Amino acid sequence: MPNSDSVFHPNTQDELAQFVVTNAASERRPLIPIGGGTTSRKGSAENAVEIHLDQLNRVIDFPARDMTITVEAGIRMADLAKILRAENQRLPIDIPQADQATLGGVIASNWSGPRRYGCGTMRDYVIGISAIDASGQQFKAGGRVVKNVAGYDLCKLLVGSHGTLAIITQVTLKLRPLPESSGFVCLGFDTAREIEPVIDQLQRSATRPIVIDVWNQNFIEGRTIQRTLSPMLYVGYEGSERETLWQIQTLLAECKQFAPRIQETILDSSVKPFLFALTNLSGFSLTKLSGQFANRFKTCLPSSRTMEILQHADPYSGFIVGSHAGNGIVFGHHAGDYRAEEAEALYRPLRELVRSHGGTLIFSDVPSDWKFAETTWANLGPAATWMQRVKQQLDPLNLLKPGCLPVS
Amino acid sequence: MTLAVQNPSSESVTAIAATKLINRLREIVGEEGLLYNAEELLVYECDGYTVEKKVPDVVVFPTSTEQVVAIVKLCNELDVPFIPRGAGTSLAGGTLPIGGGVMITLTRMKRIIEVNLRDRYAVCEPGLVNLHLTNHLKETGFHYAPDPSSQGACTIGGNVATNSGGPHTLKYGVTVNHVLGVEAVMPDGSIAQFGGPCEDGPGYDLTGLFVGSEGTFGICTKVWVRLTRNPESYRTLLGVFETVAAATQAISAIIGAGIVPAALEMMDQGIIGALEAAFHFGFPLDAGAVLLIEVDGLEVAVEDEAVRIEDLCLQHGAREVRRARSAKERLLLWKCRKQAFGAIGRLSPSYCTQDGVVPRTKLPEILEFITDCGKRHGLRIVNVFHAGDGNIHPILLFDERDAEQVQRVLLASDEILTKCLDLGGSVTGEHGIGVEKISFMDKLFAPADLAVMKQLRDVFNPDNRCSPGKMLPTAGGCGTESHTHKSHPGRRAAM
Ligand SMILES: Cc1cc2nc3c(=O)[nH]c(=O)nc-3n(C[C@H](O)[C@H](O)[C@H](O)COP(=O)(O)OP(=O)(O)OC[C@H]3O[C@@H](n4cnc5c(N)ncnc54)[C@H](O)[C@@H]3O)c2cc1C
Repeated sequence: MPNSDSVFHPNTQDELAQFVVTNAASERRPLIPIGGGTTSRKGSAENAVEIHLDQLNRVIDFPARDMTITVEAGIRMADLAKILRAENQRLPIDIPQADQATLGGVIASNWSGPRRYGCGTMRDYVIGISAIDASGQQFKAGGRVVKNVAGYDLCKLLVGSHGTLAIITQVTLKLRPLPESSGFVCLGFDTAREIEPVIDQLQRSATRPIVIDVWNQNFIEGRTIQRTLSPMLYVGYEGSERETLWQIQTLLAECKQFAPRIQETILDSSVKPFLFALTNLSGFSLTKLSGQFANRFKTCLPSSRTMEILQHADPYSGFIVGSHAGNGIVFGHHAGDYRAEEAEALYRPLRELVRSHGGTLIFSDVPSDWKFAETTWANLGPAATWMQRVKQQLDPLNLLKPGCLPVS
Repeated sequence: MTLAVQNPSSESVTAIAATKLINRLREIVGEEGLLYNAEELLVYECDGYTVEKKVPDVVVFPTSTEQVVAIVKLCNELDVPFIPRGAGTSLAGGTLPIGGGVMITLTRMKRIIEVNLRDRYAVCEPGLVNLHLTNHLKETGFHYAPDPSSQGACTIGGNVATNSGGPHTLKYGVTVNHVLGVEAVMPDGSIAQFGGPCEDGPGYDLTGLFVGSEGTFGICTKVWVRLTRNPESYRTLLGVFETVAAATQAISAIIGAGIVPAALEMMDQGIIGALEAAFHFGFPLDAGAVLLIEVDGLEVAVEDEAVRIEDLCLQHGAREVRRARSAKERLLLWKCRKQAFGAIGRLSPSYCTQDGVVPRTKLPEILEFITDCGKRHGLRIVNVFHAGDGNIHPILLFDERDAEQVQRVLLASDEILTKCLDLGGSVTGEHGIGVEKISFMDKLFAPADLAVMKQLRDVFNPDNRCSPGKMLPTAGGCGTESHTHKSHPGRRAAM
């Protein structure tokens, strides 16, 4: 896409800074940073300029033996993965549409996938960051070494900030070695309720899972994931070949007592397409695959309550739900076209259930008349005041993605 | 009863104001929660960083969040600076009360409020000693991963404020990777909770921002920490090397081979001698350096990793690689490592530990520089550090009664940290900026970086009454002062 009145593709970080400075001094148009464009949280601003970062994609420094890399934020996740793989290294964050998504976008949206149970999230890997604030000021924090407590940790602040505080331009990451092997155990049960004791047992298992996901339904054709309405528990492992095999066998033995209805293992060359499918299911493409709907929700609550949500949102009621159950994260949508009142009636019990466990329920991509689905600062408690003040301080003119936060 | 108003003409509150302050504080915490006699306050004149000293006007020991709120509101009302303190083990002068005022010591707020193994978290108060949490979890199969060497004394609140690391943070990550949420009394006296037991809460990650803010964003009164499963097995190795250079090559080879040990620590000849005298472990006194390497995980995996590490050490010139043969021997090895600082008392009356970081591949260069630097300044420097992270801890030995020696220590420290920056590193990996390294902030960061950091401090702590003089350099200042002099405001204030 060429530059136009409403689209700007900087080639360098300085060029971008200059653009933002000029904008702040003259027209003050809202700015919407865009990486791969794979998330649709764009905010709602008239007369906005889209800043496309995909040309800021250079590798600045890759001292492989230090296991860190410094890159510009517009690099595509798949390209980054390829560069790292050549040195037997990785950034263990699972990303749907990795050939589209950019590092900066993944950081800004704090995307994570199945392996977050064992490998953590972006906040655990970003050790240095450069960004441009709404006035065009270029600033950085952190550094290029794996351990560093000098200065305030602006990396953490920018991870998950959805481009509302500053435009991320360059990042230094801490890396991990590629594991020798990985594998999965898939266990099917009749109801989500039956799965909670299994996850509970996993906390005492002799094995150390990397993934604990539960899905109540899926849409993937083919043999990578079972087509079934019954909830499936996916437990993933990594390590040396011996270690992975031992863990899979041990888990199967430990789980006999729960008498799963379906029991499968995924090993060797099947792992990659399987993880790919699992990652994409939890991602944006869920909406795409299922076609018509665009009403995604996500809940965060204690892991031990996850199965209650899955039980509530069982597939026969039209919900399509998945979870990183080990982390208490449930996401999904509802298969149907609803008017606002109908949708509210549908989601109210779910929201109440989530709240009763101290969790939050957040919607994205909902029709604009679904007022009940808006998250307001007021829902977020006293911390919201401080968040608002941070936003106000760093972007006093509200130029960066106005209307994006707190509406998610 | 004398008030500890050392220098009424300085920034300290005046005697009359101090009396009023103490009376009002007494209403909040009672007589048993207060210290204000000069000789009692002396204990609080410095923390683990002994180069600079300054007593607060009064020390308070709140027992609840509500008391902390009342204290902070009072300080605001009377316009008195205040500073949180845990166990006072900071090695960067983090608890130096610049400008005097009220020191809020959290050590009486030390309850473990909740342990939830199913959801892998615990909730505790800030004054809880790090090791007490792990001891409390002993039979559960879980532990709290960040394990600073000072864990027998330092508090969870202090760990949160400094984003502490430890030997095992190489594999498991530092404090911020294990903190799910904090409750804090903000500098305006309001209570806020950032994060909590659930992951991925909506909005900005203010938990992540609060961790490591060194007491300048408020007083942490409650912490939600992530609990970690205990590893099934360990292999603990001691690689013995003729020279420091050979040991650092081995480190590079291990990391380069894609092995992330749970811990990878180096001790040089100077520290080995002191440890041996203290613990009689049987360390080789003639070795140039030893590496303490631990791998942990499943029994099916650790043996292979240990063998690979042994091979790599031997390939890179290790004279021998020993193994801890029992759990008892392993614990003794770790005891030696973690009490290394304590053993330094045998070497010298005072010491100053630096906390620079370099990319791990630059370890040989920085260690060579440290040796030269010690020679140049006529100082003895020993090393015991988190080698796997590139986090050095050169320990400069001196006698604090000798002002000229102190000056040389400050100069040598400056040179070492400057070299870390030249090598692409940082001046602090885990101890924090405190007051000690404040003059390095404008070497590490550009004015725009510091401006954004200052904007953030202005959000949380606009009057800068909470932990003044920490983390961010104050603009302006006296241009005639030398770099090392400028960097030690407490020293100035105390003189
Ligand atoms: C022998 C020895 C070994 C050490 N080893 C390590 C190590 O391996 N890794 C490491 O990271 N550090 C190490 N340290 C440094 C020190 O122990 C850590 O920085 C520790 O986290 C400080 O905890 P504390 O309770 O003593 O805090 P203090 O020293 O009392 O305070 C440290 C800072 O935290 C602030 N603070 C304290 N409590 C609170 C609170 N509740 N809310 C807000 N701010 C607060 C203070 O204002 C100060 O800025 C070591 C120190 C010693 C003496």
